[in-house]
Amino acid sequence: MKVRVGVYICSCGTNISEKLDLSELSRYSSSLNDVAYVKIHNLLCSEEGRNFLIHDVMHQKPDRVIIAACSPREHEKTFRNVLQRAGVNPFLFQMVNLREQVAWVTADKTQAGEKARCYVRAAVKRVALHEPLEIQEIDCNTDVLVIGAGVAGMEAALTLAQSGRRVCLVEKNSFVGGKVILYEDVSPTMECSSCMLQPKMDEILHHENIELLTCSEIQEVLGFVGNFTVRIEKKAGFVDKSKCVGCGACYEQCPITTKNEFNSNLSDRKAIDLPFAGALPNVPVIDRKTCLRFHGQDCTICKQACHFDAIDYDDRDEFLERNVGGIIVATGFELFDPSALPRFGYGKIPEVYTSLEFERILSQNGPTGGKLLMKNAGEPKSLAIIHCVGSRDKGVKDYCSGVCCLYAVKFAHMVKKRSPAVKVYDLYADWCVPGKDNQSFLDSIREWKNFRVIRTSLPMNVITKQSKERINLSCTDVSGKRKKISVDMVVLCPAMIPAKNSNMLSEILSISQGKDGFFSEGHKTLAPVSTTIEGIFIAGCAQSPKDIQGSIAQGAAAAGQILSMLVPGRKLELHAMTAEINGDACSGCMICVGLCPYKAIVFDRAKGVAVVNTILCKGCGTCVAACPSGSAKSKHFTTEQVCAEIEEILQ
Amino acid sequence: MSSSGKVSPPNVRFIRLMCTGRIDPEFVMKGFQSGADGVVILGCHPGDCHYKEGNYNTLRRVYLLRRMLSQFGIEEKRLWLEWISACETDKFVDTLHDMVREIKALGPLNKGITHDVGRY
Repeated sequence: MKVRVGVYICSCGTNISEKLDLSELSRYSSSLNDVAYVKIHNLLCSEEGRNFLIHDVMHQKPDRVIIAACSPREHEKTFRNVLQRAGVNPFLFQMVNLREQVAWVTADKTQAGEKARCYVRAAVKRVALHEPLEIQEIDCNTDVLVIGAGVAGMEAALTLAQSGRRVCLVEKNSFVGGKVILYEDVSPTMECSSCMLQPKMDEILHHENIELLTCSEIQEVLGFVGNFTVRIEKKAGFVDKSKCVGCGACYEQCPITTKNEFNSNLSDRKAIDLPFAGALPNVPVIDRKTCLRFHGQDCTICKQACHFDAIDYDDRDEFLERNVGGIIVATGFELFDPSALPRFGYGKIPEVYTSLEFERILSQNGPTGGKLLMKNAGEPKSLAIIHCVGSRDKGVKDYCSGVCCLYAVKFAHMVKKRSPAVKVYDLYADWCVPGKDNQSFLDSIREWKNFRVIRTSLPMNVITKQSKERINLSCTDVSGKRKKISVDMVVLCPAMIPAKNSNMLSEILSISQGKDGFFSEGHKTLAPVSTTIEGIFIAGCAQSPKDIQGSIAQGAAAAGQILSMLVPGRKLELHAMTAEINGDACSGCMICVGLCPYKAIVFDRAKGVAVVNTILCKGCGTCVAACPSGSAKSKHFTTEQVCAEIEEILQ
Repeated sequence: MSSSGKVSPPNVRFIRLMCTGRIDPEFVMKGFQSGADGVVILGCHPGDCHYKEGNYNTLRRVYLLRRMLSQFGIEEKRLWLEWISACETDKFVDTLHDMVREIKALGPLNKGITHDVGRY
């Protein structure tokens, strides 16, 4: 078939023309088979350039178009839109990268000219084989799934709900508020954490657009942006939320006492209980691990104690299915387990705590009612805070968690307020307190006479030893001097690490993780809340360690991305460059079915052939390269097109 | 590339594909058949594949392909596979220079494969 190819060469101001003789390239291009005409323009991507293109293409009516300009990453989309407007199928077009691949990187003008001729020649051969492709559109669901009801997840859910979107908020714990609700005060304002979160949590619980599923986890996610189907496992709590008023009669009567993991096992709770006073929803749950009913006994004490008939022993785990258009992952963080570094004594010396445990000790609804007390109920006379435990350490976690210095300062402020006679030793390597309010927060505690600092080098070389009732710490400070102190209590600031089950979630959602397990962004700088999967966003510490303010900003950002991506009534465009399987040639070997990373290929048992679901297919071409019978085809990257390009480029 | 001020070898030609996963071994053979003295496959780092796992498939195919190349009398060293992200300009340019140097040391490919390789 004879085609008429129109070639447009852009000089990109002087970016291309200063290295390439464009009139020479134009003469050469005109001499090629199929080329009907060649035009040179100063700046095709400018408004004037685009108008010129539209008019010229409408006038010349070429069958195929080649634009020799910059990288297709820069303007392929621009020119496809222009061609669409000019009435040419946007896929009957090939871009030649004269700027990034020739002009900018070739020193010699003659060599640049030769290279440019090769690329134009190959494009002419390739474009003749192009086929028109249609962009399909599908309806999209605008409901959203938010995973994790910490500060980031709550912010995202509220932002979406307030704009009228329905949100399914899934939380693995029985309460909302994430880690922040476990703190007493937040830095640097020293605002009460639960008072601060109360209005938000209340709105989460009562917003008509939010379905809150506590004690729930994601089991499976199928589909794609605009059309996800999510399977959620909701664990039975054995208390009917609609009947329970949160009076507490059930747990007052429960005969079983066990350690309270939400108080870092520093206090006890009952087998039916609220994790801490003020937890929301204010509904206790029965813990199957300890409740007598799950150990062969027919105890009904809690049911008898309840005046509202809210206890339901027949409650069962449920599997729920929800259809959503977008997903926000806000699964938060955990602390690195310092017992992996024995020199800090965690797990062996009773008075060595992690920062999260210490948060609970300082908390009014914590194990000591907010008093600074040791396990023996005595007040410590001195206390050491050790920064960078397992962080900024190449052998463990090489990153800085960015919040520990600030909460160490907060701890010192809180200790000072509770027990002004206590000496606080702060063992740090560098102060990392960026932001407009934080430096003064640090400076004010440094004026306190009981606040002593020891600056050591990284990785933290502190050695902790129990010596009778006290803990001896030894380290080398930055000047090389050996320092020894003796304290009653030690607080470690371990690295923040991704939440448990992040690996599993990454598999379920097919989103990638960086080397430390945090979810990877779509682009590290420009797309911090996106992922490589369209329609799935990340927010808060699931993306990287950060403070509360940062987490909330990301929760709102992720919600904003979804609001602009999924608009009621607007359709979603599908990829046009998908794979296609010729059923007549397919041998039914099913190699492609297993290889497809998007589960986009299904096997039609009746016909014995593989079939591509073009809605799921992203057009990577992995199946095409693997197909032994040559029946799979990559639209716009067919074997014939690519081979024609290779042959011609090497002539 | 201009940002790093580096110049890439003038005798390298690029073929754009959606993903290294699309690289049919036939493309590599076509390259050698059409006169390339070396072929380099450039893809995203393992774990960073834009299409999730295309590069792992490529890795496996390249191992097999190298064995096949030697059966055709083409030195295995003429086929390179490098993981380079879009922001690693220096690595990109350096790899191309290293490759050109090494391929030059091997000399031009013995134009033994004149028959159509076709689909194997």
